[in-house]
Amino acid sequence: MGNASIAVNPAAVAAKQKLVASFRSRGIVIALLSGLLYGFYTAFMTMGMSEGIWTVWYGAESGLSAFAVTYLLAALGAATTDTCSAMWALGFATVRGRFGDFLRTIKTKPGLVMVTAAIIGGPLASTAYVVGLQLAGSIVVPIAALCPAIGAILGRVWFKQELNSRMIFGIVICFGASAMIGSTGLDINAADNLMMGLLFGFLAALCWGIEGCVCGYGTSMIDPEIGITIRQVTSGFSNLIILVPLFGMISGADTVGMVAQSFGDASAMPWFLAAGLAAYLTFMYWYKGNAMCGAALGMACNGTFSFWGPFCCWVVLGLAMGIDGWSMPPIAWAAAVIMTIGIFIISMNPMDLFKKKEA
Amino acid sequence: MIPLNYAILKMFTKVDEACADCVMDALRDRYGNYKAFKKPAIIEALMTAEANGLIEETRFDLDGNNELRVYYRAHEEGAATINAYIKG
Repeated sequence: MGNASIAVNPAAVAAKQKLVASFRSRGIVIALLSGLLYGFYTAFMTMGMSEGIWTVWYGAESGLSAFAVTYLLAALGAATTDTCSAMWALGFATVRGRFGDFLRTIKTKPGLVMVTAAIIGGPLASTAYVVGLQLAGSIVVPIAALCPAIGAILGRVWFKQELNSRMIFGIVICFGASAMIGSTGLDINAADNLMMGLLFGFLAALCWGIEGCVCGYGTSMIDPEIGITIRQVTSGFSNLIILVPLFGMISGADTVGMVAQSFGDASAMPWFLAAGLAAYLTFMYWYKGNAMCGAALGMACNGTFSFWGPFCCWVVLGLAMGIDGWSMPPIAWAAAVIMTIGIFIISMNPMDLFKKKEA
Repeated sequence: MIPLNYAILKMFTKVDEACADCVMDALRDRYGNYKAFKKPAIIEALMTAEANGLIEETRFDLDGNNELRVYYRAHEEGAATINAYIKG
């Protein structure tokens, strides 16, 4: 046994190489899927918020204050999506025999860390993201995709993680690409609210950067399926029980009635159910991809959502549903690609890809 | 009873080294009825823990059925992290 057996057994070496390659490629596919599904989560949630009762709430005759239209509806949209997502997560956990471990895990130290990260990455980030989307449109998606860059900076400050000149170069590229996207905003209908929308998009990126940073720790110990169930249940219910009533109190709206109408709307709910499933999968694959191929490569692959977000909104809302205003100006597409390149440079040395091929 | 993933990690703080089959043999009595208690899932959990620096590979070989067997151990820092966060 020991190293001697490795040297004399080529079959074991070949089997080991196959196992490692398969684990790595599965990790990359899962992390890339997290980026793609994030795009569909965005598109389906936005679609749900433009159907049925939502057209009344966003209409001129709604009777809702400007505050309620901007903040309460955003929180309600995020709450409906995240609660649907929590239901999917609990359903899958039960079917796949992980419900007992979900209850046992949530009470432990790593479980509570996950709950804290879920509150930051859930109600806070989701609402900021939805407010941003409603104010400035899909241009907010690449801004929110700055979260790996923010995660890298926070990781350096909090956990003394590596932040070298290559990573800083990548962050500068990302911020440059954000500036490019910001400069195109004047072509978009929501121009009046653009800067406020971008600010909320940045707030979402900050919260998700914190979440990604903290959950890197959590997923090294917790099964990703259990981790994501903790996240979605915490996020869905804290949105529904804390954030929506809070905004309801401030705006004086009947939140209980609005929650009931949102969940009871037959034309909007299928979109929220689809958005909830996409949210469950995108966040689980984000955690799992980071855990399987390392946070650096995992976040790089997930970062492709800066492209998939506007792309899926354009396909679902623009092409399939024929809604105007979801096409992005060419410079914004170019910026999304540049930002993705920046995220890759932050997360990994591009030269490593060539070194791997030579090996 | 602690969650399966915790039990897998905790085991490495108590043994010199172990492979997926060793983990299954040690935990079968308590976790054998779990749907997630399958060899591919255990291997994935071990490889994930390795990717996150909690455990490290010590050696590998082929077992009697010509199946790959990879052994891991928790190094000092990994064991300290596991013990700090997982009680039991």
